[in-house]
Amino acid sequence: MLRRQLLDLASQGHRVPIGADLILHQHADAEATLRDGARLGAVVVETAARFRTPLAFPIMDLRLEKAELLRFFGVPAGEVEKFHFAAAPTAEQRHEYARRAREVEPSERVAANLGALRHVAQQPGLLPVGMCIGPFSLTTKLMADPITPVCMAGAGIGAEDDAGVALLEACLELSLACVLAQVERALDAGARAVFVAEPAANQVYFSPLQLAGGSDIFERCVMAPNRRIAELLASRDADLLFHCCGEITDSMLEAFGSLRPSLLSLGCSRRLWEDAVRVPKDTVLYGNLPSKLFYSDETMPLSRVTEQSADLAARMAACGHPFILGTECDTLHVPEYAATIRAKVDCLLARA
Amino acid sequence: MNELVDKIALCIERGKVNLASPYPKDMKGQEGADEFAKQALAAGVGPDAILGACNDGMQRIGAKFGRGEAFVPELLMAAKAMNAVMAHLKPFFQAGTVKPKGKFVLGTVAGDLHDIGKNLVSMVVAGNGWEVLDLGVDVKPAKFVDTVRANPGCVVGLSALLTTTMGNMAATVKELKAQFPNTVVIVGGAPLSAEAAAQMGADGYAHDPQAAAAFLGKFAAAA
Repeated sequence: MLRRQLLDLASQGHRVPIGADLILHQHADAEATLRDGARLGAVVVETAARFRTPLAFPIMDLRLEKAELLRFFGVPAGEVEKFHFAAAPTAEQRHEYARRAREVEPSERVAANLGALRHVAQQPGLLPVGMCIGPFSLTTKLMADPITPVCMAGAGIGAEDDAGVALLEACLELSLACVLAQVERALDAGARAVFVAEPAANQVYFSPLQLAGGSDIFERCVMAPNRRIAELLASRDADLLFHCCGEITDSMLEAFGSLRPSLLSLGCSRRLWEDAVRVPKDTVLYGNLPSKLFYSDETMPLSRVTEQSADLAARMAACGHPFILGTECDTLHVPEYAATIRAKVDCLLARA
Repeated sequence: MNELVDKIALCIERGKVNLASPYPKDMKGQEGADEFAKQALAAGVGPDAILGACNDGMQRIGAKFGRGEAFVPELLMAAKAMNAVMAHLKPFFQAGTVKPKGKFVLGTVAGDLHDIGKNLVSMVVAGNGWEVLDLGVDVKPAKFVDTVRANPGCVVGLSALLTTTMGNMAATVKELKAQFPNTVVIVGGAPLSAEAAAQMGADGYAHDPQAAAAFLGKFAAAA
């Protein structure tokens, strides 16, 4: 289990961004590398070396699982990103997918990710980490309007009364089967932990009014599926690293903590030093510098990165909760702003 | 007649679309915005009064949203109820009996397929009496330019969720301002801030749909 190592890193004041995409794009052939397991693995190794970390965080591309799932349903690759189910796939289709999800030959991109994991797993001193989207966030990508049925279901309206709720439940079932299959593949390839990214598990999709009124919709849509993933990881002696950069309520945070992740990565809207009391003592809090704003020197000048890094590190040290300073999400390469983004990542890594 | 107008506003505030809609649960089985709009028109209520009810309902839910007493799902349901009413008013807009406050050209910038924020802005702005020309997602600068050319005096709204598309958003603003210096452009999305919007050359920044509607309201008042 990585939990002990993560706690040790936290106690050492470790700092690391999620930033493999930045290193990938320092290479001229980034697109080709994404389709080549050995080369992609080398990028992940290079990323860990560059950021002086044993944590081999991979590329966070949350589009892959949707493509993987829709391939099974015969959706052409070029249509995947804009595709949404118009009606719920039948129970037979869902069962068939759940039964065969692991048998389907992985796509070129997924195969490369698995190859990269195998490559990283062979490197001494590195902790290979898999990455996948969470079941609810994948569900939201399969529907043209996911908010309305979540709201309907949260109001106690069942699938039998509303076609949207029926579609939501069907998509959730498919998404869980897809993510479980991808997690198993990652573990088979050598991952010792998997980053499960659930950015949609937030109050845009789930009304805090409904949750405060006693609705179990967050439990049904987010927690129950992720509990299945946590159980799978535990059964394979692997760790759950859980990520949600959306705006969440305190009760959502406590629910995430109930998954007992070894690391919990949160968005910049959270005050981690206040969140610490709501999270298990052996869950490392990770984040949460506003890396989505690193591109902007007006909003997030270098000096502010320095200030916020120092402030966050000091507050977390004072509260005593295990903490690793990092980014609120994957720090992406943006060609027009590449230099300033890299400078801010360097700034994050530099201790006072 | 006022009672019908009040009912329309209430249905919008509560997100009660029509009789068939089971939402909200405490109004299940009751008539909704759709039925009351139909009844109001049949009873001779003027379309302007019905449009006013839309504004009232959306402003009430918007105020709750601003106070943290309602959230995106409630706002979305309200917008759906409002859309049901607007469908009845469409012929009056087309005939010129009811005049929109202006035209709002909206789209998610090139390279970005996210539409939840854009759609919410579209519905809330429409509920505030604007004609919305929604260009969809992954919209190239040329399409914005062509639409502005065809709709002089419109306001443009650009949406994005991905940091990676900030360059595309800046390029779109630049292109619009180069061709139509007086066209007002407002931007919004997770990676944005007022400072970043200003740096791009945009005239405004909206952190949520209500802010977009408020910005347009000020623009309309000043025009």
